[in-house]
Parts: sequence; C-alpha cells; structure tokens
Amino acid sequence: MRRLLHALGLLAVFLFAVFPFYWMVSSSFKTQNDILASPPVWLFQPTLDNYRQVFADEKVTRAVLSSLIVAVCSTGLSLILATPAAYALARFEFRGKADLWFWFISNRFISPIVLALPIYIIARNLGLLDTHLVLILIYVTFILPIVVWIVTDFFRSIPRELEEAARLEGASQFAIFWRIYLPLGMPGIAVSAIFGFIFSWNELLYALVLTRRDVQTAPVVATSFMSGYEIPWGKIMATGTVIVLPVTVFALLVSRHMVRGLTMGATK
Amino acid sequence: MLSLLRHVSAAAILMATATFAAAPAVAETWDIAKAAAPYKGTQLNVIFLDRPGYRAIIKLLPDFEKATGIKVNYEIVPYENTRQKEVLNFNGQGDLSIALVDLVWIGEFAENGWIAPIDKFQSDASITDPNLNLKGFFPLLLDAFGSWGGKVYGLPFDNYSGLLFYNKCELKAAGFDKPPATWAELKDVYAPKLTDKAKNQYGYALQSLRGETQSADSFMRVLWPQGGSLLDKTFHSNLMSKESQAGLTFRQDMMKYMPPGVVSWDHAEAVNGFAQGQVAMITEWSAFYPTLTDPKTSKIGDCLGVAPEPAGPAGRLPALGGFSLSVASGAPEKVQKAAWIFIQWATSDAIAKDYVEAGGVSGRTAIYEDPAIKAKYSFVEPMVASWQKGVPEFRPRFPAWPAISEVVAEFGSKIMLGEVSAEQGSKEIGTRMETILKKEGYYDGKKPLLQ
Amino acid sequence: MTRPSTGLAYGRWTPFWFLAPAVLALALIGLYPTLFALATSFRQYNLTRTRDGFPFVGFDNYVTVLTDPTFWQTLGRTGLFFLCVMPVEVALGLAAALLLHQTGLGMLRALARVSLVIPLATTYAVVGLLGRLIFNRDFGVANAGAAALGFGPIDWLGSPTGAFTAIAAMDVWQWTPFCALIFLSGLSMVPVEIEEAARLETGSKWALLSHVQSPYLWPGLTAMLILRSADVLKLFDSVFTMTRGGPGAATELISIYIQRVGFRVFDMGVASAQALLLLVLTIVLARLYIRFFYREID
Repeated sequence: MRRLLHALGLLAVFLFAVFPFYWMVSSSFKTQNDILASPPVWLFQPTLDNYRQVFADEKVTRAVLSSLIVAVCSTGLSLILATPAAYALARFEFRGKADLWFWFISNRFISPIVLALPIYIIARNLGLLDTHLVLILIYVTFILPIVVWIVTDFFRSIPRELEEAARLEGASQFAIFWRIYLPLGMPGIAVSAIFGFIFSWNELLYALVLTRRDVQTAPVVATSFMSGYEIPWGKIMATGTVIVLPVTVFALLVSRHMVRGLTMGATK
Repeated sequence: MLSLLRHVSAAAILMATATFAAAPAVAETWDIAKAAAPYKGTQLNVIFLDRPGYRAIIKLLPDFEKATGIKVNYEIVPYENTRQKEVLNFNGQGDLSIALVDLVWIGEFAENGWIAPIDKFQSDASITDPNLNLKGFFPLLLDAFGSWGGKVYGLPFDNYSGLLFYNKCELKAAGFDKPPATWAELKDVYAPKLTDKAKNQYGYALQSLRGETQSADSFMRVLWPQGGSLLDKTFHSNLMSKESQAGLTFRQDMMKYMPPGVVSWDHAEAVNGFAQGQVAMITEWSAFYPTLTDPKTSKIGDCLGVAPEPAGPAGRLPALGGFSLSVASGAPEKVQKAAWIFIQWATSDAIAKDYVEAGGVSGRTAIYEDPAIKAKYSFVEPMVASWQKGVPEFRPRFPAWPAISEVVAEFGSKIMLGEVSAEQGSKEIGTRMETILKKEGYYDGKKPLLQ
Repeated sequence: MTRPSTGLAYGRWTPFWFLAPAVLALALIGLYPTLFALATSFRQYNLTRTRDGFPFVGFDNYVTVLTDPTFWQTLGRTGLFFLCVMPVEVALGLAAALLLHQTGLGMLRALARVSLVIPLATTYAVVGLLGRLIFNRDFGVANAGAAALGFGPIDWLGSPTGAFTAIAAMDVWQWTPFCALIFLSGLSMVPVEIEEAARLETGSKWALLSHVQSPYLWPGLTAMLILRSADVLKLFDSVFTMTRGGPGAATELISIYIQRVGFRVFDMGVASAQALLLLVLTIVLARLYIRFFYREID
C-alpha cells in the first residue's frame, strides 16, 4: 500500500515536471495550424518539417555546441575554484569568515542590465567579444557562489571524526580535502554542478550582448527566431526541445552521484 | 582613360534612359566590380532580423560578394534586442559598419551622429551608382525611413504598410461583396453583422499587446484617420483634442466586436485569429501576406482578400513601418565607402526583381509596375496605394520616442482594459509626455521641432 | 561538540590558499563592473544623449528612483509575486524531495529525479512562449482543462489577475524543481544510521521530519530563499515574452521596469541607481533570512 502511494507520488512529480514539456515537444511535431488550433489538438498528423527547418540551418547545431563548451568549462572551472573555498569555510576558523561567506552569494544579487555596458566595453578592449572565454569567465562569477553555498553546508555535515583519524596519520589539509571531503561531498557537488550547468546553459542577457556570429549560444539563437512580427511556433518549439536534450543527458550522467553512495559510518 | 570610360558610360545611361519607356528593367548596369575594386576584401558588419526581407537579401549575398570581393558578416538578432545591440555598439566603439534603422530610431541615430548622411558619399562618383535615382523610391518611404531634418541618411530596405486583410467568404455570407472603405462603415455596418459571440466569431481584431504593438498598431492607428494626432504644432500633447478623443472612443466602441483578451494579442495572435477564421477582418502589416497564403499556417485559402486600410474623416492614413540601411559613422573611412556600395546594391532597381522573388519587399516604384509581379502578389496593389500618401510621423521619429512609446503603451493598454477612461488616460499620457519633451529641450526654442 | 582546531592542525596561510583562487576570480571579473555601475549611478548617463556628456549629478538619480511611484508599484507587485510563488515552490519542493528520498522504487525515482531537470533546463524565452500557448483563451490547454472541469473559458492573458496567475504558474513550474533538488541534497546529508534508527523507532513521518531531517534542511531553505529572492528581482525573459508586462501593468515586475529604463530609454544613470537600491534590498533580505532560518549543521 505504501509502495503504491509512493509510486503515485513519484508519478505526480514526473507529470508535473513533464507536462508543459510534453506540450512543447508535441507542438514541435505539429504544423502551425495544429499548434494554434482551437480547441487544442491532442491527436494530429505529425510532421518533421519543423525539425528539418531547425537542422537545415546549421546555426542551431553550432549554437548547441557553443553552449556546451561554455557550460562545461564554466561549471568545471567553478567547481575547481569553489570546492576548496567551501572546505575552508566549513572547516577553518578565521576572522571575517561569516562575511566572506556572505560576500560569495552576494555576487548573484545585482541586475545584469547595469553590468552589461561595462562588461561590453572591457570585453571589447580586451578583444574578447564573440569568444567562448568571455562568457565562461562571466558565468563563473555566478556559478561559483552557488557551488560555494551548497557545498559548504554539505562539507559541514560530514562528521569530524573522519578527519581526526586522518590527521593522526599525518595527512595534510589538502589530502584530507581531496581524499575524504570531496568523495563524501559528492551529492552536494553533483547538485551544484547541475545547477551551474543549467544556469550557464540558459543565460541570455550577456550572451546576447557579448556574442555575434561565431559563439551565439543556444538561447540566443532560439530567441532570434522571434523577429518581432512573426512567431514561427513550430520552429521555436523544435529548437526548445533540441536545447533541453543536452542538459537532460548531463543531469542523467551526474544524478547518480546525487544519492548517498558511501556510508559515512564506515570509518567509525 | 578613366574619364573617357566615364563619359562613355554616362552617354550610355542617357541613351538607356531615353529608351526607358515601358521596360521596367534598367538597360545600363552599374559596374559595381569597378567601384568596389579599391575595397576588395573589406568586411562589413551588420545586424539583420529573421524576417523574409532579410532572408531574401541573404540569398542574394553571394552574387554581391562574388562581384565585389566585399564580405558581409550579418548577425541575426531578435527584434527586441536590435536597438540595444546597436546602441551599445555605437557607444562602446564597436565595429558595426552598417546600421539597420527602424523608422522610429532615425531621429535618435542621426542626432547622436551615429549614422552618416548620404551626401557625404553621393558626391563621390567612383562609389555611387549612376542609377541610384533617389526619386525611384516611394517618396513616403525615403522620407519616413531614411530622412531626418531634411537630409537623407539611409535607403529604405525593409518596407511595410498596414493593410486590411478580410475574409471574402465570411463577408459574402454576411451580405458584403467588397471590404469597408471607411472606419465608420467597418464599425457600424460590417462588424455587427460579422460578430456572433455564441459562435466565437468576431468582426475585427486589433492587436494591442502592451509594447510597441499597443503604441503603434493600436493607439496611433485609431488617432490619425479621425484627424487626431499625438502632438500639436508646438509639440504639446494633442490627445485632448476632439478628434483624438474621437479616435480613442472609436476604439473603445469597437471592443464589443473584438475577441475578449484582444488587449493581450500581439501580431501572432491577430494573424492567427484571422487565419483560423475566427476573425473576419484585421489591419495588419503587409509582411504577413506569406503567412496568410501558406496552407501550413493558414486555413483561409482563397477566401483571403487584401485592401488598403479604411479611411476616416481625415482620409486614409494607414500604419507605416519599415527599416532603412545607413552607413555607421563610427566605422573607418574605407569601410564606410564599402558599406555605401552595399547599401546601394541592396536597394537598387537592378536587383529589385530578384529581391522580390526571393521574398523581399522593395521600396522602388518601378518594380511594382511589372504586371507579372502585380498578378503574383495580391498585396502589391493595396500596398502601393497605401504608400502614395501617408504620414511620415505616424509615430514621431525623434529621440524621445522610445520613452514616450512606453508611456503610450502602458496607458493605451489601461484604457482598453477600462482601468482608466480615455480622457484620464490621455491626460496622463499628455502630462508625462510633456515632461519628457521638456527635458529634451523642445519647449525653450533651442531645439528644432522635428518629428 | 568538537572544538574548532587551530594553529597546530594547519598553518596560518592554509585557509588563504584554499580561498584565494575563488576570491580572486570573483574580484577580478566582478568588481570592476559593479564599481562602474556605482559610478554611473552618480552621473547623468544616457547612452542616446551622448551629446549631453555624462556630468556628475550626485544623488539626483537616487532621488528620482525613490520618488518614482512606478518604481514602488512594480516593486510591490514583485514582492506580491514572490509571496505567491515561494510558499508553493517550497511546499511542493519539499514534498517532491521527500518522495524522491524515500527508498524503494529505484527506477521510478531515478526517472522522476531526472525529469525535474527539464523545467529548469528550458530556455526562459521558450517558457514564456509555452505560457502563451498554454494560457491562450482559445487554443490553450489550460482552458481545455477548465472546460473538462466544467468552467467556461477563462481569459488568462487578457485579464490582469489571469495574467498574473499565469506567470506565477509558469514560475512555479520552472522553479519548484530547484527547491526540490536543494531539499533532496539536504536530505542526503542526514547520516544513514541516525535516519534508519529513527525510522525504526517511530512510525511517524512528521516526527522524523521535524527532529531528524530538519536540521539538514534549514541551510538549504535559507539558500533557496536568498537565491529565489534575488532571482525574482531579476526575473525578466519568461514574463516579457509571455505578456510584455501587460495587460495594463498587471505583470510588470521590477526587472521589466529596469529594462525599460536601462535598455529602452537607455538612462543608465537611473537604471544603475535602481539596481544598486535593489542590491541593498536583497542584502537586507538575505541577512534577515539567515538570521531567522539558518542553522549551522554540526
């Protein structure tokens, strides 16, 4: 009985997450007449036309590739920079620790609209316009805080006894961080990696302002189809569907780390 | 040697022009390769939109690049972000060579010195098309899209007119065999017979989504034909005049023949409502003709009728919209000249036919005298008729327009919702608008009253 | 409780080396633009009036912002939006996290977990367009559902309350997974043995939650509140694509207003002042959240 309720609950979660997405995917296989038909159409003659349009224009595949490069690099870089910082915040004592911890997250507070101009000017002066690097660097500034925040709490929850044992054996701080905290902190790191990847993937304003032709990311291309008068519904829905796929794959790969794998009581 | 060649070509042109007669095509072609020779290898940067007119020119680009050796790098951007990108670019010493100028941006771009007037280049015969023939453009388009303060800055490139699209079959079923000629007719005679709420059928739909759609398509459209306007001669608000109020009241009276929720309808919804047969008449941009004739996006088929917009007591003053291409004055001299060559080519009579057949809408008069073109595209006749007489300042094109447009959009939409009355809303718009114009300096005599 | 180790356990500079890369990266990339925005907020800085120059005007921009009724109205509306969506997202997120945490049904759990990523992964502008499709009065699925339940067609996007509800619904759809995943990660911090023991001791789910699991959820809740507050103040693309801030001003959130000022009128001076005031507001809110909700895990 409990299993049944549990199953129904999970099913509800699944349907909630997926229904609008289902609507997007099914629309991507409809002709515009069907997408905009009243009352809405559930059974219809599917067409591959929208996808043909999307892939004929190699812009979309290039954009997905661009987004992939930027997302992987910015997330990876953020993880590398942030996890040691999280360890320091979790385990060391020093003056101003609480303020520093707060300062990290406050980097996400300011509206990108007013930062766009200075960043544009700097990027132009450094010759970084329309490069992957400039987007990677900017995205790091807002992925890093999230990683720090989630992983710090995670590290704090790891019992100190594990550390004591290693220290008695003469392990350095870095070794403790590397061999004990990172593996045990995987669920937190995994979640923040997923979030980082998603935020990088979806970011629109900086991508619009800083890219041109070579590095246009996926959201920019998807929105460029909104030319102000016409809305090619089918093409946009198809593009939207294509864009979601890499993220879902990434999440699939990472999500097995999200469940507790190692028991923490092992070294008691 | 060079001057001999020039004289020979000039003579040839004179002869060709003399035998112009009925032939729409020009006999003499511009030796563009020669004109572009010093600029071979130059790269031009421009922003384009994902619209038919741009797709058409992109299709023809290889011909240009092959003939001149000048490469055109275009970047496709959502319309909502185009002005953003251009302004940031001009301010940040960016590298745009050509500016895509919506007609409402021309005052701003010109006054800030971001675009170069064409007289800077016209005098140089080595880069100017002998067939440039500014008179060959529709005067309204050249004036509205490309000129400011008496100078020409750009050539009309992507051109629209508001048109009345009507469902011939539905009109016939209601007893009408031609479209309404006046707004009064539309409201009092046609709409009541075409509206049946029980069947979810409506006579008319006016796209009114808050934003430029509300200020241009909805608000301004109902002012002009009634004799109203946004500003009077001294640039104070004219919204409280009898005629302007009549226009706004007209729109409120029309609400009962329009689908509910029309205040949240953008072009997509209006065109679709018409295409699905739910709405019998819409006044929309000419650019939607392809959408309405494509069976994949429209169920109208042969029932589609196209006519110029209805007239009001002040005459027929349809909605006017479009873009011009100008040379960005921040670009290096060499690039500017190459850009000038491109702009002339893109808007020339020589490629007009190819351009139209690729899906573009040219701003040249000659191409529309071609009977083949007239027959193939049924929107041509009403559009040409609409471009004979119109108001260049359908929307004021001065730098203050974006700020004023926001005010108009907000209150125009509130008026339609009934949150404020037409009078109150107009007063609000008037006050805010005048504050903006005062700050701009239009009231102390220092700034010329250009719109 | 263990005392924090000092001195002997690690060198004085060790914390520095662990923190320096992150701090340096953030400072180098993020500091200059923020200072630029600060400087701009004290100047008259209109990108389309370059002829007028950029004179220093002191606090004029701030005064303009603080005496602007539209600023307060949109801010209030944004606050109301936050109060509507946050409780729903937290509650649904917690429920989903608990369901995903409970052992058993491995395949179904994995499927549900991955599906949670999908709303978050959908491009914001596409979310807005989906909303336009779903909530359209004539061809929208929402009204088809309403019809099935016996209601007449609701004009979602054309009425102020309807439109507000619609954008709230799309936000809940997109961000509940965010809350769910954070709660889930919090739940996975609970030491296994303690949880098992508690489960055997008491059959009550509620007791389990409030005594054993909650200490690990408070930090997550705090992070969630802070991040969502900051994000709602920046929420733009999905709402703009769906309604443009209309009808009337019903869905005009603060970020749409700032975008109007900063990217339509291009008055960067005023826009910077607005952004900095919002920054202060967010910092204050964050501090409050931390004070009320944050419990260190130890």
